[in-house]
Amino acid sequence: MKGFAGETLSIEEVCQTRLDVHGRAVAILRGVNLKMPAACLMAVVGPSGGGKSTLLRLINRLEDPSSGRILLSGINIATLDPLQLRRRVGVMLQVPFMYEGTVLDNLQKVFFFRSETAPVATDSGLLQVLELCQLPVDLLARQARSLSLGQQQRVSLARTLLAGPGLLVLDEPTSALDRPTADQLGRTLQDICRQRQLSILMMTHDLRLAQRVADYAAFLDQGRILETGEAASLFNNPRSESLKNFLASPADALEGSHVR
Amino acid sequence: MSGSVIDLSMIDLVLVYGLVLISASLARFNRIGQERDLLWSSLRMIVQLLMVGYLLKMIFTIASPLPVLLILLIMGGFAVHAVGARVKEKMPGFYRIVGMAMFTGCGGATFFLCILVIGLTPWYDPRYLIPLTGMIIGNSMTGASLAAERLTAEMTERHQEIETSLCLGATSRQASAEAVRSAFRAALIPSINAMATMGIVFLPGMMTGQILSGTEPLLAVRYQIAIMCVITASVAVTSFFILLLGCRSFFTSSHQLRIKQ
Repeated sequence: MKGFAGETLSIEEVCQTRLDVHGRAVAILRGVNLKMPAACLMAVVGPSGGGKSTLLRLINRLEDPSSGRILLSGINIATLDPLQLRRRVGVMLQVPFMYEGTVLDNLQKVFFFRSETAPVATDSGLLQVLELCQLPVDLLARQARSLSLGQQQRVSLARTLLAGPGLLVLDEPTSALDRPTADQLGRTLQDICRQRQLSILMMTHDLRLAQRVADYAAFLDQGRILETGEAASLFNNPRSESLKNFLASPADALEGSHVR
Repeated sequence: MSGSVIDLSMIDLVLVYGLVLISASLARFNRIGQERDLLWSSLRMIVQLLMVGYLLKMIFTIASPLPVLLILLIMGGFAVHAVGARVKEKMPGFYRIVGMAMFTGCGGATFFLCILVIGLTPWYDPRYLIPLTGMIIGNSMTGASLAAERLTAEMTERHQEIETSLCLGATSRQASAEAVRSAFRAALIPSINAMATMGIVFLPGMMTGQILSGTEPLLAVRYQIAIMCVITASVAVTSFFILLLGCRSFFTSSHQLRIKQ
């Protein structure tokens, strides 16, 4: 698998405004600043509706911000061709979508989109990614939609990795998983980050996951980053009242481990 | 040709309208309802058809291309309007897209059939041009509604699939290919079904009409085959353009799915 080395990400004064159903402008992000070093695992935590998903959509240009800029390894992504950008930034949306067909069909999809020859089931790069994502090889021939949600999540991860990104961005990767499955996925992400020198950014309200696997963390609430730093110090010594409340609220801390 | 048609006088029409009155009174005395609608729509039909009849007669006697083209244009305009009335969730730029697609599809099909194949002399001969174009536009209208309606529905339903594909590096065209495919299928189904059952389940109207007016059945059949082929092509081209242009209107030039407000 060829890929880009771990990319750095720098988000500067990013705002995003949307129109609500009545046509009124609503600010979703109000000047977000965030710096992420290469080849580390960073978690953006915060309550639902705080702007995590919107931030994620800006990073691979599923949307463009109303103001501010985002730099990928020093280059403003607004100047990059979106198709090229999306090769370098692999985004996994919250609900894994499985195309009709087998798991192998799903993994080959990336290559069809690029009009490249897709790897066969015995391709060494493909097998490496499967192993990294802890997907047994005999799953390749199964219908992707018949798999459990946890397995679909892993297929989706493998599919994204096969594209060879330097930065992986995940939206609530554990929201549909039970606690053991979520913990396993967290370990897998850690392995990928270390072995591939991949930068991983995850948007999550699953505090347990963030505390266990993240090197760095940021707290996003009501469209602003209120705190950022090394994960351990952020979670052990929260400064702002809202992060203290968020860390103390059992509902939010547990939500990630409930099957929705 | 017209020599073999038996004349239908006004008295004959009064006689057949008596049947409508009998149906309406049956409905009334048995309290089934609908008699008001029955009478109203039958009156509308009579007035509208008589107006069309006089209009056609006028155009036939004027024998000049301008009124013929005007009629065709009005028919096209009404068709686009009707598509707009039928499709509830309209894509951005709906009327521009439907208008352009119908003009290309129906206009091209009509030109091909009337000028290149049948070879009308004069080229605007209203006796052929108006009814044939009417059939082409009428059928394409159904196809256009289905294509436009299905496309918006598919783009909304497949929203997750499309964004997943975009995340995996697909172009907007690749990401929406499945949605376009199912919308195209939906648009063509009526034409496909009509062709497959034609002659067995029902005798098509144009052919029946030609036979009634004394045309030799095999010639009437050949006309029916020709019009069906042209209608199918017109439906396909119209839907194709609606899907091609419509699909683009859901994306920005940066391969982003426009967010519904």
